[in-house]
Amino acid sequence: MIQLKNIEKVYRTSTVETLALNSISLDIAKGEFLSIMGPSGCGKSTLLNIMGLLDTPSKGSITIDNQGTEHMKDKALAGFRNKKLGFIFQSYHLINDLSVLDNVELPLLYRDSTAKERRQLATEALEKVGLANRMKHFPNQLSGGQKQRVAIARAIVGRPEIILADEPTGNLDSAMGNEIMDILMQLNEKDGTTIVMVTHDENMAHKTHRLVRLFDGSQVQ
Amino acid sequence: MFKHLFKLIWNKKKQNALLITEMLVSFLVMFAVFSMIVNFYHNYRTPLGFEYKNVWLINIDNPPHFNKGDSAAMYYQNIRNVLTNMPEVKEISYSSGNTPFTSSTMTTGYRHKSKLYSPVNFFRAEDPYDNAFDLNLLEGRWFDKRDNAATVEPVVINQSFKEQMFGKGKATGQLIGGYDEKDTKKMRIVGVIADMKDKGDFRPAGMSLYTRIDTGFFHHVGRIVVKVTPAAGAAFEGRLYKTVANIMKESTIGIERFSQKRDKMNKETLMPVVILLILAGFLIINVALGLFGVLWYNINKRRGEIGLRRAIGATGNSVSAQIVGESMLLATLSLIVGSFFAVQFPLLNVFDLPAGVYITAMFLAILFIYVLVLVCSLYPGRQAAAVYPAVALHEE
Amino acid sequence: MLKNYFKIAIAVLRRRKFFTFISLFGISFTLTILMVLTAFMDNIINPTYPDMKRDRSLYIGRVELRNTKEGWINSSSSSFYFLTHYAGSMKRPVKMAISSGSSSSNAYVNNKKIVVGIKYTNADFWEVADFDFLEGKPYTKPQVDQGQRVAVICQSTKRDYFGDEYDVVGQYIEVDNIKYRVIGVVKDAPLSSESYHANMYVPYTLSKSDYKSTGHQGDFGAVVLAKSTDDIEKIQKDYDQIVNRIPTNSKEMDKLYSNADTHFRTIVRNVFGSGPESGFTRFLLFISGAIFLFMLLPTINLVNINITRIMERSSEIGVRKAFGASSKTLIYQFIVENIILTVIGGVFGVIFSVITLQLINESGLIDGLHLTLNFTILFYGFLTCLLFGLISGVYPAWRMSKLNVVRALKAQ
Repeated sequence: MIQLKNIEKVYRTSTVETLALNSISLDIAKGEFLSIMGPSGCGKSTLLNIMGLLDTPSKGSITIDNQGTEHMKDKALAGFRNKKLGFIFQSYHLINDLSVLDNVELPLLYRDSTAKERRQLATEALEKVGLANRMKHFPNQLSGGQKQRVAIARAIVGRPEIILADEPTGNLDSAMGNEIMDILMQLNEKDGTTIVMVTHDENMAHKTHRLVRLFDGSQVQ
Repeated sequence: MFKHLFKLIWNKKKQNALLITEMLVSFLVMFAVFSMIVNFYHNYRTPLGFEYKNVWLINIDNPPHFNKGDSAAMYYQNIRNVLTNMPEVKEISYSSGNTPFTSSTMTTGYRHKSKLYSPVNFFRAEDPYDNAFDLNLLEGRWFDKRDNAATVEPVVINQSFKEQMFGKGKATGQLIGGYDEKDTKKMRIVGVIADMKDKGDFRPAGMSLYTRIDTGFFHHVGRIVVKVTPAAGAAFEGRLYKTVANIMKESTIGIERFSQKRDKMNKETLMPVVILLILAGFLIINVALGLFGVLWYNINKRRGEIGLRRAIGATGNSVSAQIVGESMLLATLSLIVGSFFAVQFPLLNVFDLPAGVYITAMFLAILFIYVLVLVCSLYPGRQAAAVYPAVALHEE
Repeated sequence: MLKNYFKIAIAVLRRRKFFTFISLFGISFTLTILMVLTAFMDNIINPTYPDMKRDRSLYIGRVELRNTKEGWINSSSSSFYFLTHYAGSMKRPVKMAISSGSSSSNAYVNNKKIVVGIKYTNADFWEVADFDFLEGKPYTKPQVDQGQRVAVICQSTKRDYFGDEYDVVGQYIEVDNIKYRVIGVVKDAPLSSESYHANMYVPYTLSKSDYKSTGHQGDFGAVVLAKSTDDIEKIQKDYDQIVNRIPTNSKEMDKLYSNADTHFRTIVRNVFGSGPESGFTRFLLFISGAIFLFMLLPTINLVNINITRIMERSSEIGVRKAFGASSKTLIYQFIVENIILTVIGGVFGVIFSVITLQLINESGLIDGLHLTLNFTILFYGFLTCLLFGLISGVYPAWRMSKLNVVRALKAQ
């Protein structure tokens, strides 16, 4: 599903040159649940950003669903992200001024869809994460776990084949974390969604199919 | 998408209320400014209606007193003869004090079919007045010798007055009455002239009526209108002055040129407008900077949201369009409220300006505010498009 | 504490230069306009050359006759007789200057036209006003009574008529076909001083109009000089009583109005008043309305910027609150900050005002007008500044104090 070949990422400031990723090659199969671990600053978020086409590598190539991504322009990238990828973040990134339902509908606004379809899909997604009764609430009326479930609903509403999760349980206690983890595992098993998850939590990581460890920008396992 | 933007704005109404108020007040200011400009332009576009070049004005202070009208008339006939004999003088007409480009006005009301028309500017002039100012006759004729024998007082009216009374119909030959309903004395319209914008290029002529000077008028003469040849210059002015002052030893004489009086009048009319424009200009710069600052700051505050939108499939352009769109929507909301206030002006006929002026001004003000908001939000929009999602999403 | 606030304020202002610039621009420009306006008002209210005794002068200008039933109004300057006979009968005033309105007539020198505004005055005119005599001296009462053809001319007319000649006293000036002997040259009076502005002053006995006429209305006006400022109100009362007893001398008109006003009130009455109304209330309403409207936009703008400024600092506020600052202290801090900002804006405003006034003075927009800033205007400017800072600071500060600590800390 996702092929990374010799990915290198260099950050340059006027004085310092930092190597964030050093020659990473990964092949993630369709339906796989992969976790990435490593200490802070090892480059795991950078790697996830590159997989999510939010960032471009300095060297190397990414192929997603057999499509090369190097020559895609802004518009093509945006469309690709919209249809193929779903994102989940540690700090949720919900828009506080929009209701839960509106937040979940958001990805559908960037593709052709009618208001009715959007509402239908968003309601279904919320049902999947068990928050159908909170549709009219606003994010600041929800607990952290609920917020993350909204974020998951938003990630799956467009039926993407890949979900990229950046420390989805990082801000949550273990009970809530497990809840989120269960939802992700269900998505993986039932819908066959490919999931890549960055985490700090060994327990969570061990629940996944495969674990990749990064240290100082290099793959160590 | 529109509904989405509206939701965003609506849910943030507390923060947006001040922005909306600011745009609303700016709109009202611009509405006032444009009303004034449009009105002035509208007036400026209508022809002046007379020729002022080579026309001079002799002012007489403290004219001599006469006990009998006849002797007064003879006295002024003598002056007329002396002046007409000067080769540089082409036409000469005595006139009431409200000659063109003076601040003096005389108004009264007239009745036609018992309907009162007021206020009507009321002028007194002689037969050559028409040629002195090259008036533009639309219907009938100006005063001439035929009026000596008239039993009903002849009057000439201007186009504005005619349109008020008769619309498209014919005015010549019609009879009108004076202000007092009990007064049954009638006047006959002998001609209609194009409007004379006698208060300068930027003010409308209004309804006007001209009567022919009779013997009684000469008890108190204040103004002589003199049309001279193009060659007449300062030397002739000195000679003219000496000639008149020698005859009217008791009076103070002053000579002015209508071309200079016009410039002065226009300057006086425009001065407050220019001051107001400068003020409005500064206010708008102020508002523009403020809007720009607030929008720009909002982009910084919403970096997370922008990054997220990019991540879930928004292009840079669509993010930029969203920012601009939100601002335009805010502007639209304030313009709706503003237009509600603005539309009261033509409806209630405040300040007596034509409704078209207000409506044009309203459209211009709306356009202005949209352009202002667009300009102020374009750069913040571009900033938003440039937000790097990978960075923005990991900032918090 | 205040020093601490001051330090923080400066640091904050320097951190966000663009916002600081916007705020300062708005404040200084608004203040400049208000200061220039105040300078104009000051010029009207306070003594200016040659009207140096304005504080103990009362001005009698128009006589208004009314038909209260039909609403007819006949308003005109007073006659010489009216002024001497009625205003002149008051015991309290020290002196009374009587002069006609400036009537313009022409003089021709070398085929060039000079417009000369002539005022016909009595001899006391020179004692009530404080003209600077550059040459010669004023005419005396005997000269006036004899109707001598003498004239005092102003500096600019001397230049226009005589050119660069140094001493013109004793020479003749021909205006209106009449030759006058120049006996004095004075510095020009500004156009805004209606009672004193003219190009040439001659005895009223030379006036071509009939100054002996006993009608109420004519060409003249008077400046009544009181012994001291305390006498002003008494004289006004005396005059009102006298005016009440004057018959209208006309069948059609049943009411007569004439007022002895202070200089400022005269101007207000000319613009806003009519008949018995002094127009002062209308003036106050008008001026406060205009200032309110004018200040509305800059204020909203400033409030907007201030709120943005505060929200940006929500984490700082959160920290302060977390460490025990009460809402009151925070409001206090922010208002002090805002006032410091407005005062800085005020300093710029003063600089711009000086420049603007200089430009207005040099442009010669109004003849002989010289506007200056003085301590009164500066004081009012400072007051406006404080008010501006307070108004634009209070609402944002209130919003700030409502800020939730937890969320404020989380926001950054």
